[in-house]
Amino acid sequence: MIELHRVWKVFSVGPVKVPALSDISFRVAKGECVTLHGASGAGKTTLLRLLYREELPTEGDIEVLGCDVPALRVREVAALRRSIGVVFQDAKLLPGRTVYENVAFVLRVLGTPRREITPRVFDALRRVGLSARAQAYPAQLSQGEAQRAALARAIARKPLLLLADEPTGSLDESMAGEVIDIIKDIWARGTTVLFATHQARLAAALHQRTLHLLSGRLVKDEG
Amino acid sequence: MLGFLIGEALRDLHRAGRVAVAAILLTTLSLAALGGFWLVSTNVGQAAEQWRDRVRITVFLKQEPSAAETDELVDRVQAMPGVAAVRYVSKSEALGTLKEVLGKDASVAEQLPTNPLPASLEVMLNEQGATPEGARGLITRLSELPETDEVSGGMDWVDRLARGRRLLDVIGLGIGAVLAVAAILTVTTLVLHLRRQELEIMRLVGAPELVVRLPLLLQGMLQGLLGAVMAIWVLIAVYALAGPHLEPLVNQTLGLERLTFLKPHTVVGLMLAGTMLGGFGGWLARGRTAP
Repeated sequence: MIELHRVWKVFSVGPVKVPALSDISFRVAKGECVTLHGASGAGKTTLLRLLYREELPTEGDIEVLGCDVPALRVREVAALRRSIGVVFQDAKLLPGRTVYENVAFVLRVLGTPRREITPRVFDALRRVGLSARAQAYPAQLSQGEAQRAALARAIARKPLLLLADEPTGSLDESMAGEVIDIIKDIWARGTTVLFATHQARLAAALHQRTLHLLSGRLVKDEG
Repeated sequence: MLGFLIGEALRDLHRAGRVAVAAILLTTLSLAALGGFWLVSTNVGQAAEQWRDRVRITVFLKQEPSAAETDELVDRVQAMPGVAAVRYVSKSEALGTLKEVLGKDASVAEQLPTNPLPASLEVMLNEQGATPEGARGLITRLSELPETDEVSGGMDWVDRLARGRRLLDVIGLGIGAVLAVAAILTVTTLVLHLRRQELEIMRLVGAPELVVRLPLLLQGMLQGLLGAVMAIWVLIAVYALAGPHLEPLVNQTLGLERLTFLKPHTVVGLMLAGTMLGGFGGWLARGRTAP
C-alpha cells in the first residue's frame, strides 16, 4: 500500500539547507492503521505531503497504491489522489457552503452520478454523527463537528487510504476521542489509515502500530 | 456536470461582491476606451472616404484649345489609368464661375481688359486613382502632357486624414491593450481570490483538469461579457448625449453631416473581445494555481 525507501526531504532557505526528513524507510500494508507520532516540526506533515505528492522528495523512492509517486505526471497525480482521503488539523471546510454541500462538493467535482450523491453524503454524515447538522454552515459548527465534517467529506468518496494530519490537534479530549472513534470505524471498514499526531496518548489509544519521528528521523517502529 | 460547473461560476460571481464589480468595471473601462477610439476612427474614416470621392485634379492648360483639340485632349486624358471622368472648363466658363463666386462684386471681373483665367480640365478619379500612389502617378502623367501649364489638387490631405485615422487606431489599440492587461490581471486575481479554497479542495481530491478549469474559464468569460455589455451602453450613452453637440463641429471640420455609431459587427466584436479577455484571465488563473 505504502512503501518508502531511504527518503530525504531537504528544504532550502536561501543558502541554508534544512533537512525535514532524513533517510526514512518503512512499509504500510493494505488494511493497516498506523500512527505517525512526533513533536511539532518532527516531519509528520512533510511525510504525509510526500505521500499525496504535494511535495517531491529530495532523494529516495516512494510508492503509494502501486504508483511511483515522484515519477507521476500531473494527470496521474489527480488519479492517485482520487483514491486518497486527506484531513487536516484545520478542517478546510468551504465557508459559504453547508455541511451537506461541503461533502457533496467533492462528489460533484469527481463526477459522481447525481442520484448517488445524496445517499452517499448522508451515509458519510451518519457515520460521523452529523446527520442532524447537514444544513449548518462551518461557522455554526464546533471544532469537533467541523473535524467530523471533514472526515465525512474524506470518506464519502470511499478512499482506499486515509491520511489524517493532526485532525485532533485543536480539539479537547472528549472531541479528540470522538474523532479517534470515527477513524477506528473507518479503518475497521477496510480503509488503510495513516494518522499523524503529536499526542502520545492518542497514538496509544488506537492500539496499533506507531512510527515515531524525531527531528525528521524515524527513530522507532513499534506495535 | 456542465450545469454544476456553470452554477459554480455564477455562485462565485454572486459571492464576489465589490471585487467582481471592480473587475467588471475595469473590463468596461478598457473596452469603452477601445470602443471610443473605434468610434472616432470610424467617423474619421468615413470623412476620408467621403472626401476621397470628391477629390478633383485640375489641369490648367497653356492655351485654350480648339473644339477638335479639346475633344482629342479629353479622350486622351479619359484613357489614362485612374481617371473616372473629365470635364473641359473653357476660359469663359471659368470667368463665369468666378463671377458667381464674387456675387455682388462680380463687376470687378467685368472691368478686366482680357480674361486672365486659363482653360482647364477637371479630372475626377476612379477607385484606382483615388489612392495616394494612384493620384501621384496620374499627376505625373498629366504634368507631362504638352498642353499642360500646371496641375493642382491631389490626395495629400486625404492621405493625411487616412494617416491620422491609422494613428488613432494604433493609439486606441495601445490604450485598449494596456487596460486589457490590467483587466486580465484583475480578473485573474479575483478568480483566485474567490476560488482559492475550492481549488485547494479540488486539487486534493484529484478533480479532473477540465472540472477545475471550466468554472474559472466560465466565470472569467461571464465577467468579460458583462464588462463588454456595459462598455457598449457607456458608448451609446456618450454618443446619444454628446453626439448632437459635436455634430456642428464635425460638420465644419470634417464635412460629415451626421456622426455614425459603431456598426453591428463592431459591437459584436467588442462583446467577443470582452468575453475572450475575461476567459483568458480565468485561464491564467488556473495556470497560477497549478501544482
